[in-house]
Amino acid sequence: MMRKSTHLITAMVAGAALALTGCADGGSQAAAPLDLSKEPAYSGKLSILTKFGGDPLEPYFEDLAAEYQKMHPDVSFELIQETDQSIKDKTKTLTASQALPDVYFTWAGNWANNFIDGGLAADLTPAIAPGTEWGDKFGESALKAFEKDGKYFAVPLYNNGKFMGYNQRIFKELGLTPPSSFEELVSSCSVLKGAGYEPISFGNKDGWPALHYLQQLFAYEVPAEVLNADFDPASAKLDDKGYLQAMEQFNTLVNECTGSGKDSNGVLYTTAQQALAEGKAGMYYQEVLEFDTTASDESLLKKDGLGIFKLPAAVDAKGDTNAIEGSPEGYIINAKSKNAALAADFMKFATSTQNAAKLSAPPYGQPSSVKGAVSEENSTAPVVEGIKKVNEASDAIIWLDSVTVPAVADAWLAGGEALIAGTQSPEQVLASVRSASSAAK
Amino acid sequence: MTVSNTAWKPAAPPSLTPPPALRADRPAKRGTYQRWRNLVWVLPAVLLLGVFAYLPLVQNLGFSMLKWDIYSGRQTFVGADNYIKMFNDPIFWKSLLNNTLYAGISIVFQVFGALILAAMIEGLRSERWRGILRAVYFVPSAISLTVAGLLFYFIYEPRMGILNAALEFLGLGSFTQAWLGQENTAIFGIIAMSQWQGFGYCTLLFAVALQRIPTELYEAASIDGVGPFRRFFSISLPLVREMSSLMMIVTVSGAFQVFNEVMVMTTGGPNNSSQVLGTWLYRSGFVRNDFGYAAAIATAVFVITLVLAVLQLRLSKRRRIEW
Repeated sequence: MMRKSTHLITAMVAGAALALTGCADGGSQAAAPLDLSKEPAYSGKLSILTKFGGDPLEPYFEDLAAEYQKMHPDVSFELIQETDQSIKDKTKTLTASQALPDVYFTWAGNWANNFIDGGLAADLTPAIAPGTEWGDKFGESALKAFEKDGKYFAVPLYNNGKFMGYNQRIFKELGLTPPSSFEELVSSCSVLKGAGYEPISFGNKDGWPALHYLQQLFAYEVPAEVLNADFDPASAKLDDKGYLQAMEQFNTLVNECTGSGKDSNGVLYTTAQQALAEGKAGMYYQEVLEFDTTASDESLLKKDGLGIFKLPAAVDAKGDTNAIEGSPEGYIINAKSKNAALAADFMKFATSTQNAAKLSAPPYGQPSSVKGAVSEENSTAPVVEGIKKVNEASDAIIWLDSVTVPAVADAWLAGGEALIAGTQSPEQVLASVRSASSAAK
Repeated sequence: MTVSNTAWKPAAPPSLTPPPALRADRPAKRGTYQRWRNLVWVLPAVLLLGVFAYLPLVQNLGFSMLKWDIYSGRQTFVGADNYIKMFNDPIFWKSLLNNTLYAGISIVFQVFGALILAAMIEGLRSERWRGILRAVYFVPSAISLTVAGLLFYFIYEPRMGILNAALEFLGLGSFTQAWLGQENTAIFGIIAMSQWQGFGYCTLLFAVALQRIPTELYEAASIDGVGPFRRFFSISLPLVREMSSLMMIVTVSGAFQVFNEVMVMTTGGPNNSSQVLGTWLYRSGFVRNDFGYAAAIATAVFVITLVLAVLQLRLSKRRRIEW
């Protein structure tokens, strides 16, 4: 039996623990619309969290900041530049410690909605909604990616989409043309293999490359309304047979088309990217944002020619075969920022015609959401073609790891790895995702 | 030059003048005053330890009883829900198993293995060779875990890694695989790297402990015709018991706090097969946005390491040998 003093100490520790955490139920309210009617005071420090860490993207925001400072000498900048992988942790750390900068990067979907619902995203509707001077510079679909309940919460900086990139020389040599169906794609793999090439280079060490394949295949195999309902745990059923069909197709693709097959979980995506760049692989599934990196001036691929085509759907696909995976990526202005007006002014500067063109051109190759920025004068042919196809698509399907809640995305991620390793069947993967989704309700 | 014979007395700081009842000129109260003064001296350290070590522990305990939305800042008290969830979470148990595996293998290599190697090195007659070997084995410990993790990631890489290339060269091509990409080998690949990295450091510590044993004991044993094995088991092993206990505590505690190498090499994948408590804690908080649950896992890690440390300390006290 515990002594009285032990009971007392336990109770005191538990009480202190709760007192010290400041247990509160004070949820945030949605942010009030940003008042941009007044000109900002051009002074103070502007902090920006970007996803442009590392080569070749890092200089972009550095140059923007330097140019803006020339115009407004009393403004200084704190740039926090992260990579695609590290920005996820950085953003959450800053959010948890209530230290988000004035401007910060966001993906569309659940990722952005968390900030909007938490009152951490300034309502930019009066400034950027379609019909406003600034808003009309963007394609409406790009703005809509960050729209919630009729309000607009982010500046879409660039568009993105996922395509199969291929080596034009190799295809020509082997008499191959971009496949128009999934079945054709698989049969072209054997031709490439026979010629000593890796048909599709694939590296899934980070988990998300598999999710990109799966999400595009889900869009083809699962009816759109079912798919969209399944992203939200509140309405998710996750019982459509199209999921199993898509996962079977993914297995076929991994086992018959990739050089690494079951070993793909041990390969970096950059290794796969390199295989296409060096002319060792026939194809590599990539984002528009990667085109200019994969086919950089020094690469063999630049000489051979980078061609692109949409991942083809199976002949009997039951979903939306004209949909494409991809979505704009943008920047949110912190609703709690004291420099919100200045931040908005800087983002207007960042999305000026001149800066949008610069962003869309090599070495950056990030296709700006500003109308007309992606053109044959500014951008490489694959980027122009990619964005054209994105604009022509019937629907843009947001990445699986940002469209749904994190626990479900994580279950899909583990499931993708298990499919590759061959340790789980599509039915088992779907069951584990269903279980994660019902737990997240 | 004059030398004062007056005994030096430290002047009490102005703000710390004891109350009249505790003045030093009252012998009966001197002990109390001394204790009071000592307390003042250690107070800064106690405060720092309290604020930076114990307060976060207590805070973490509080967080573990909350559902915390980092976006809105909303915190809802959920009592033991996070702990119930933890006990029903297969990935938590998988992580705990991986940590236990880590601890077990680390004890074999970094305690027993390192001790045997240290004894072999110290048994060499050539001082020069002893020095060279100590340095050779210590070098991996000087490499940061992150760098070592990356280095081994490329060694294990299925297509360009030197491990598979070496196996091919030796005619063992059937054994090649994606060491970090397969669910049944990923955790062992990481543990192997960890042993390589920590083995030399443990060896060096044991070498120091062995050097402290009086040589007379070995000389006497040699005169009595005792062989090297008997000398090791009857002299070396008992007299490095304290170091062994310390190494055991450090190794086991370290095995339950492992994070960097897993994060760098596999991030807990594939399919959570190489997840350890540290990475699952991180993933629960920073990927799944479930910071309350992450705090519950952190509490579990704290309790496990505390219990293990107390147990080992007690065991080692019982078996201490003085000479």
